[in-house]
Amino acid sequence: MTFTIGVDVGGTYTDLVAIDESGKAVFAKSPSTPLDQSVGVMAGLDELARRLKLTRADMLGRTDRVVHGTTVATNALLERKGADVALLTTEGHRDVIEMREGLKGDRYDLRSPPPEPLVPRQRRFGVKERLKPSGDIVTPLDDRSLGDAIDAIRSSNARSVAVCFLHSYLDPVHEITAVERLARELPELSISRSSDVLPQIKEYERVSTTIVNAYVGPLVRHYLANLERRLKEAGFKGNLFIILSHGGMAPVEEASRLAAGTVLSGPAGGVSGARRCADLLGIPDLVPFDMGGTSTDISLVAEGRASLSADGMLAGQRIALRSLDIVSIAAGGGSIASVDSGRTLRVGPESAGSVPGPACYGNGGAAATVTDANVVLGYLDATAFMGGQRPLDSTAAEAAVDRVAASLGLSRLQAAAGITRMINLKMADGIRLMTLRRGVDPRRLALLSFGGAAGLHAAEVARELEIKRIIVPTAASVLSAWGMLTSDLRYEVSRTHYGAGARISTDEVRALFAQLEQQAAGRLRSWFDGPMTIERSAEMRYGEQIFEIDVALDDLDWNATSLVDQIEDRFHRCHEELYTYASRDQEVVFVNARVAAVGEVSRRGQDLRPAPSAHACTPRTTRQAFFGAWREVPVYALDALQPGHAFEGPAIVEAETTTVIIDAGDRVTVNGLGWLDIALG
Amino acid sequence: MSPQIDPITRSVVQHRLSSIVKEMGEAMLRTSYSQILNSSRDFSLGICDTSGRLIAQADHIPVHVGALPWATLAVEARFKEIRPGDVILLNDPYHGGSHLPDLTAFVPIFDRERRLLWTIVRAHQSDIGGATHGGYNPAATEIFQEGLRVPPIKLYEGGRLRDDLLDLLALNIRNPREFRGDLAAMVGAAHLGERRLSRLFSEFGAPVVEAAVETILDAAEAQTRAVVSTWKDGVFHGEAFLDDDGHGRSDIRIAAKVTKSGSDIEVDLSESDPQSTSFVNSSHANMQAAVVMAFAYLIDAEIPKNAGALRPLKVVAKQGTIVWADPGRPVTLCTSHPSNEIVEAIIKAMSASCPDRAMAGWGRRFRIAIQGEDPRSGRNFIWHLFQARPGGGASSGGDGWSSIGEWHTVGGIKFGSIEVAEVRFPLHFRHHEFRAGSGGDGQFRGGLGVALDLVLETAKPALANTAGDGARHGPCGMLGGEDGVPHDYRLISEGRAPRVLKTKEVGIEIRPNDCLEIRSSGGGGWGPPARRSSAARQRDREQGLTQGVAATGQDWR
Repeated sequence: MTFTIGVDVGGTYTDLVAIDESGKAVFAKSPSTPLDQSVGVMAGLDELARRLKLTRADMLGRTDRVVHGTTVATNALLERKGADVALLTTEGHRDVIEMREGLKGDRYDLRSPPPEPLVPRQRRFGVKERLKPSGDIVTPLDDRSLGDAIDAIRSSNARSVAVCFLHSYLDPVHEITAVERLARELPELSISRSSDVLPQIKEYERVSTTIVNAYVGPLVRHYLANLERRLKEAGFKGNLFIILSHGGMAPVEEASRLAAGTVLSGPAGGVSGARRCADLLGIPDLVPFDMGGTSTDISLVAEGRASLSADGMLAGQRIALRSLDIVSIAAGGGSIASVDSGRTLRVGPESAGSVPGPACYGNGGAAATVTDANVVLGYLDATAFMGGQRPLDSTAAEAAVDRVAASLGLSRLQAAAGITRMINLKMADGIRLMTLRRGVDPRRLALLSFGGAAGLHAAEVARELEIKRIIVPTAASVLSAWGMLTSDLRYEVSRTHYGAGARISTDEVRALFAQLEQQAAGRLRSWFDGPMTIERSAEMRYGEQIFEIDVALDDLDWNATSLVDQIEDRFHRCHEELYTYASRDQEVVFVNARVAAVGEVSRRGQDLRPAPSAHACTPRTTRQAFFGAWREVPVYALDALQPGHAFEGPAIVEAETTTVIIDAGDRVTVNGLGWLDIALG
Repeated sequence: MSPQIDPITRSVVQHRLSSIVKEMGEAMLRTSYSQILNSSRDFSLGICDTSGRLIAQADHIPVHVGALPWATLAVEARFKEIRPGDVILLNDPYHGGSHLPDLTAFVPIFDRERRLLWTIVRAHQSDIGGATHGGYNPAATEIFQEGLRVPPIKLYEGGRLRDDLLDLLALNIRNPREFRGDLAAMVGAAHLGERRLSRLFSEFGAPVVEAAVETILDAAEAQTRAVVSTWKDGVFHGEAFLDDDGHGRSDIRIAAKVTKSGSDIEVDLSESDPQSTSFVNSSHANMQAAVVMAFAYLIDAEIPKNAGALRPLKVVAKQGTIVWADPGRPVTLCTSHPSNEIVEAIIKAMSASCPDRAMAGWGRRFRIAIQGEDPRSGRNFIWHLFQARPGGGASSGGDGWSSIGEWHTVGGIKFGSIEVAEVRFPLHFRHHEFRAGSGGDGQFRGGLGVALDLVLETAKPALANTAGDGARHGPCGMLGGEDGVPHDYRLISEGRAPRVLKTKEVGIEIRPNDCLEIRSSGGGGWGPPARRSSAARQRDREQGLTQGVAATGQDWR
């Protein structure tokens, strides 16, 4: 018997899933250890082995692959705990990151000071060198100026350096020369080079991404090396792969090189899981809705695929690497309810977190949270929370909600219902942004509900958006870890085309892609010898526009003389689909070529078996909960439900680490995988 | 009798309205054609009711927002009959508009037969016809020289586009293709708002929404009054000056007398100088918007900026002054100047009433537009300066933001990528860094402006126009803080003496390889410089932010 193991380190819990050859999955949850996440990972592996009735060494010895989603980079950025970085850049352009292209967030807040850039100005150094937008060198790299800058970096005590010169996406020669000399003279320094990290036009995006890479790189490398060593010592002989923000995975060495590409490593597993669910269920269009304690991650699976974008921003830092399109909203079980001076109820963005946690945790939290409202409404069973390991204090929840009620002049129940309504609206708004903003009508999608808190809110969120169907997998509370095991290996490269205003030629297109393909395939082959596919796309726009559209270029006839016509035609059609019109008389500008090499790993796992025809089932118990009025409702155990079981709301479904609310009129059918398939009435 | 609205319904409706205007903004950003809209985001969205009350707005360009109620009133006054499917346009500053480049589209929102609301999209057009490209004509002495005037007209009647009218508009504009694309985006965004509002009505019933709107406005009023009543009562005076009008008058004074009593505020601009012959006059709606802007900056950021929040505010002004010109006068510069000076005069006055809220002066606008031929393609180009953003004012909250913009945009305009600019235009951005020493000193230092050395790489001479102010008067310091260093733009041309550019010039010749040395202003400082902490001064020194006005970037060592 051999295993593959998925490990997802979250804010509160580390989730683990082991799948054996037969596709049988075993889950474990263990507290996260933020100071050194690998401690929690190893403890989680102990727990997983215990559940498999094996020793850890035995389990690891039989594991051929560990896939890992880490929040080391994410936390370093959010908590500003990364390396001291220096920037080496073109003379006269040191302030690009601090200028932020002139933009500022809140328009009416004129009294908040500006954010601190990741690299303070005294560690930003200019060197004499300059390329033209044609790639020609106007000012050769000046040795003396470079030497002075390196001396300055040495005395700045920086541990990591980002190198980013203007127009280096066209020709990295100056950056490479500078990096070689830096490596020679300051060998202990960690170096990130912009023409390696993101060889693309637009200096703010490129320099910011390179700086983030330099900032999180040393921590990510240190952590991964540590984890790899601990795993090896514990008897693991297989491959350790890291999930990247684009949802594919890569070996430790690549995740260390492109550490900025791991900032969404955690939630990316959830998207992979959602994609796998879409595939298993034969439902190509899903809204993955992942609600935890402090935040909710929302993404979109359309036609079985998750969309990638390069618009990313995390903790105020622009990261322009392609990553899964994930909207994170500060809304979770711990979101705090408050009443402002206009007597308006607000919920979040502040969260009680896990310390002190919601009032009902009894850890000294006094503020009313979403979880407290759920206790008051009878949705959460205070005695059975976290499988009974952590009973909740319902009196404390009531007292906290009462305080909100008093300042609104409402009853306890009205306030609790108001709190859940407001948080649901917030999350619905996030889904609206994720769908309508991309021209997708949420009403034709199914909501995939996972993460510890989602089941309590999915029904009302779906109703708000007129979504008619909700799916709750049995692995809902550990879906991200499960999803990681379905990821492919992926290596992406891109290059900006310099057209000088002229239309790109067929030869240029072919040469550009051939070069990128060779680079991508070569890299992937060094990790993996299984089946490989190549994905090509191009970012294009109309002459006057500023937002490019990423157009997939698969299934083109690359030998045809009309290649460029075909590519432009795809762009026109894409534009029409997204924005309702195409301007076929206008010039199309070819901006970036993109290639991804994808290595398909063997997939183990369940298949959807046909469910027997629907039949009734017996609830475990009943209890009082608020469904428009207090009602005695049936409570079902998720573990006890069998394919084909069916029942109607109002009802509650409970599992060890999650609870699902079924509204009156909604109908649940248990599908062939044992998952809940809820049709909204 | 109107239905009782519980606090939850109110919160839900308020949230919805604000998400509707946000969504309209997203649609505008992604579908518009011209650079000024899709890159620099010079547009705004709002929802007003039929009596012109602002119900909801998206945070885009503050100077647009306070003007929308006046535009709505002009539309209501013009048409007796408004039907579903109508789309109304206007831009004329003497018919509810602010200045000609800002075109505004209105879509009426009905609940069955009853007309209840308007969705509104205002967008700055990259050209609006007239004597000069791009709408700014420092030489204009009457509005007819500034561009095409559009009173309230129906572009669509009952869902049918009047394409003859569209042809008339497009024919008068230099870039008709962009104009049509931008207009389609505006109408589309307004229709998107209509669709979402209709759903809100069908879900709650229009009477509930209407009643909720009343409570939303009342709540914003209560929040605002709660803030204002904590300020000191009294009569306060403030003033600010325009450098000049470009037609011979200088130091044009904008005077604000602010009477604060309890939770009410009256702003009286009557003592401002007489109107000008040039485009530095303000239209009535723009003056109103500028006052609203100043007020909005002083109250709490999280109070919804709607008609309720503005109820405590009364505006008094005199027609024939620089802040409210007589019909027919040119006004194109007004959304930046004298808007900036109106805001500054009011905030200066209020610094005696609510000193912790009064921020120091933000930068002024000084634009350059260059027309020439790109030798690489042989095509003509027109480039607008958005780089070298000025600094923001300091406040009790800390130092000002650097490279962030003017009072009327406050970080809402994006200047974009220099690499892209070099690809698209025959320009070489030799240097583009903070302008050391430009921020006004103070307990909290003003944000820095930018030093830009820009080399023209054409084969033939090009022509430039300027439009702006603030080369003599820097953004004001507040409560003992020092003024920001004013703008200083020069043209360096081999074999000629360096030439200082004026803020209102037409027909400036720029020869190949000439360099524009652009030094944008810093923001004003807040509080006495003596109170600046030694740690902050040390940091400024380490970062090279205060050591004299550097001409180039050779200051990192």
